[in-house]
Amino acid sequence: MSRRDLIILVVLIAFAIAFPYMGVPRYLLTSALVMFCFATVVTQWNLVFGVAGIFSLGQLAIFAIGAYTTAVMGRYLDMNVWYTFPIAGLAGVGLSLLVGLATLRMKGVYVALLTIAIAQMMFVLIQTDTACSELNRIINPQTCISFTGGSQGLGDFGSFGWREVLGGRDAVRGDYYTMLGLLVVGVLVSFFIINSRIGLGFKALRDNPELAASRGISQFKYQLIVFGVSAFLTAVAGSFYAAKFKAVGPGILGFDLLLLLIAMLVVGGLGRAWGPLLGALVITIFREGVDNIMTEGLQWRDVIFGGIVAAVMIFMPEGLTGTLDRLWNYILIKLGFAKARSSTVTAVAQDKKAND
Amino acid sequence: MNFFLQIIVSGLTLGAMYSLSAVGLSLVWGSFNMLNMAHGAIMTLGAYFVIIWFDSMGMTLWLAAPFALICAAIAGVILYFISAHWMLTKRAFDTNIMIATIGISIALQTGLLKAFGGEPYAQPLSLRSYSFMVNDVPVSYQRLVIWATALILMVGVGIFLSRTNFGRAVRATAQNRDAAQLMGVRVRRVYVAVLALASVLAAVSGIMLSSMKELMPLMGGEPLLKAFIVIILAGLGNVTGALYAAILVGLLEAAVQVLVGAQYGFPAILIFVILVLIWKPAGLFGRRTVARQ
Amino acid sequence: MAENLLTVEGLFAGYDGQPVLRDLTFDVPKGALIALIGPNGHGKTTLMRCIAGLLKPTTGKVEFSGKKVTGLPAEEMVSRGVVLIPQGDMLFPDMSVVDNLRMGAFLPAARAKFSENVEEIYGMLPRLKERSSQMARTLSGGERRMLAIGRGLLSGGEILLLDEPSLGLAPIVIDQIYEIIENLRKQGRTILLVEESPNRIIDLADHIHLLDTGSIVWDGTGQELQAQPQILETYLGG
Repeated sequence: MSRRDLIILVVLIAFAIAFPYMGVPRYLLTSALVMFCFATVVTQWNLVFGVAGIFSLGQLAIFAIGAYTTAVMGRYLDMNVWYTFPIAGLAGVGLSLLVGLATLRMKGVYVALLTIAIAQMMFVLIQTDTACSELNRIINPQTCISFTGGSQGLGDFGSFGWREVLGGRDAVRGDYYTMLGLLVVGVLVSFFIINSRIGLGFKALRDNPELAASRGISQFKYQLIVFGVSAFLTAVAGSFYAAKFKAVGPGILGFDLLLLLIAMLVVGGLGRAWGPLLGALVITIFREGVDNIMTEGLQWRDVIFGGIVAAVMIFMPEGLTGTLDRLWNYILIKLGFAKARSSTVTAVAQDKKAND
Repeated sequence: MNFFLQIIVSGLTLGAMYSLSAVGLSLVWGSFNMLNMAHGAIMTLGAYFVIIWFDSMGMTLWLAAPFALICAAIAGVILYFISAHWMLTKRAFDTNIMIATIGISIALQTGLLKAFGGEPYAQPLSLRSYSFMVNDVPVSYQRLVIWATALILMVGVGIFLSRTNFGRAVRATAQNRDAAQLMGVRVRRVYVAVLALASVLAAVSGIMLSSMKELMPLMGGEPLLKAFIVIILAGLGNVTGALYAAILVGLLEAAVQVLVGAQYGFPAILIFVILVLIWKPAGLFGRRTVARQ
Repeated sequence: MAENLLTVEGLFAGYDGQPVLRDLTFDVPKGALIALIGPNGHGKTTLMRCIAGLLKPTTGKVEFSGKKVTGLPAEEMVSRGVVLIPQGDMLFPDMSVVDNLRMGAFLPAARAKFSENVEEIYGMLPRLKERSSQMARTLSGGERRMLAIGRGLLSGGEILLLDEPSLGLAPIVIDQIYEIIENLRKQGRTILLVEESPNRIIDLADHIHLLDTGSIVWDGTGQELQAQPQILETYLGG
């Protein structure tokens, strides 16, 4: 992690900590904490897709596993949601390793199709789950609710519990800082992996596969590690999401959320440490803006988001951070602070670094 | 015996509809490695165009249907020029275009939702209410129309690909792009044409689908996934295989629906395809390896 | 000597900014057989792809029939009469032999004469006639090369570019292939050919160029090359 990155990160965290005391309305705090949650997912997805080069579209399946683990354990085992988080994380890792072992030796688009199929299957299985659950009858004999709650989803499984500690008015601040904590962990993990041997190994693999292979960089092993690590945090983000909203439904596997997260991912810039944060911020601000300006914004919003995702992929596939980086380098070169380097030279240098 | 007949009747109908959209999807992937996630949206669009020309413009159905197909072809051409055209020479084409078409697809579907509202429409182009009996199993005339249309179109596509000069160029491009260029094939024209053809087939499939159920803005999602399932089973880019796999998937889905329960049809084929992908990633009839890049 | 059909002047080309060809200059006169010889990885295929339009040169000029054709795409080059028979044949594996040949005659001018020309090809390469309905992927190595040559000939170009026609074939099959090339030469076809070793072409070529790390380091006739064994020693290791 470079000094520049560290300074920016510290400033951002300080701002985020102070934000709730700047007299902002409560709904903005909620928007911000939802953004933190999604940004966590996107930083982890970026590790999988952008850094490790695994074209997985199943991130939401792992998110959903986390959310449903918390819901089911909280509801049927009466567990405090805080205890369910590590279990949810492990459930995510379990799913991801299963998927990873099956897919990681395949080429990009096959991984994408298989992960979509898995997410879709979860969606359909939950949605068609209508049989009254025996477990539910123990808790509440009067109602007929299926194990996963079917299309209506599950509720009644507890929450972070800030209302009891901080009181009703400040509970949202508790939620806010909880999510912020999660995001900070997510960002640190992401920076750590990108700058570690693993991250540099992947960079070498992307820039010069033959050279990297000859240096003994094992793609499969590294990919599995990244897949597992990112799944843990993604699943925990899912279970935080469930705990915050005190309900989960199959909607979290739907295309709306997938599109929102993809938009954050690609607008920010794939494979870059700052990409997911910038993307999440820009898209959230944009979303708030659209919702405030248009009274019937909800439907047009997805039209616009879809258009943005397509336009970014077509015209600036490196995203905002990539474009800014390029602009920055261009300025430095123009001003004589840096020399233009060819990509091959950089790759070899990075490869050396990765093997030192 | 009736169960069996029911499965055949309903499975063949599903298979016929899937085959049309899957063959188009497979042709497009085979020609230039574009996995078109907007295929389902074009399916839906095609079905709505019938409504637009019939209801809003007051055309007769016999005019509205061909007009809808022409519009679908134009949509395919537009799709090419707004997406693939700019991306062909850049790196990671296959993944980038997939994301781009996810965006386009959702934009298109929500646009339709906005324009037509979420309520289902009845597809005017349907003979669903007229039927005859075979061994106590009702078979609607609509199914006959679907079978015949699918058969005619598939034979037509087959003749186009194997007997015509341009069809051969399409196959040649799919098998070796550089070599096709060396023969004088303008490959970008092939791409546009293939995308237009695939969109027409998708639209026909969408019209059929809506004629059996109803017309809804988001109806393209599930058939798109099914078309993907079919082409994965066949092996990406294997067009003939896609035809057989479509019928197989249709029969399998119908069998599960009739024997186990209607809601299990889709999960069953999803599990089937996941297993096939793990066991034989190149597909059931796949000869080519997965490592295509 | 006759007028030049193809002229290459100061050509630079490469991949990802790494130059492979450096300042290449040579001519191919009409009706001549010109050979370029060089070890693997020294730019032979890159040069062929450049002339045929599959790769855009960085700088330099390619002229064909007196017109500048630098950087034109492959489909344009073939319609002007530059036909590449590529390394590794690049057949259409899942198409029949006759469909592969039909693809050779894809452009309208060639297509019009396909039925008579294909008989000529079958006369020259009778194996193709026997195998005409077989899929290209089922052919043997020698048959594939013959199909690639037949397909190229059906394009009816004015110049044939042959990229290592002997590559990967058994000696007896190489004999057959070179017999075909010799016949083509007798018919007055203009041919530009690259090979790794000079053995087969030293008597056949009108002019030979030696290629080393992307530049021409020596040129002359086959006889001259035979008279100077140290040249072969230096550049091709004997």
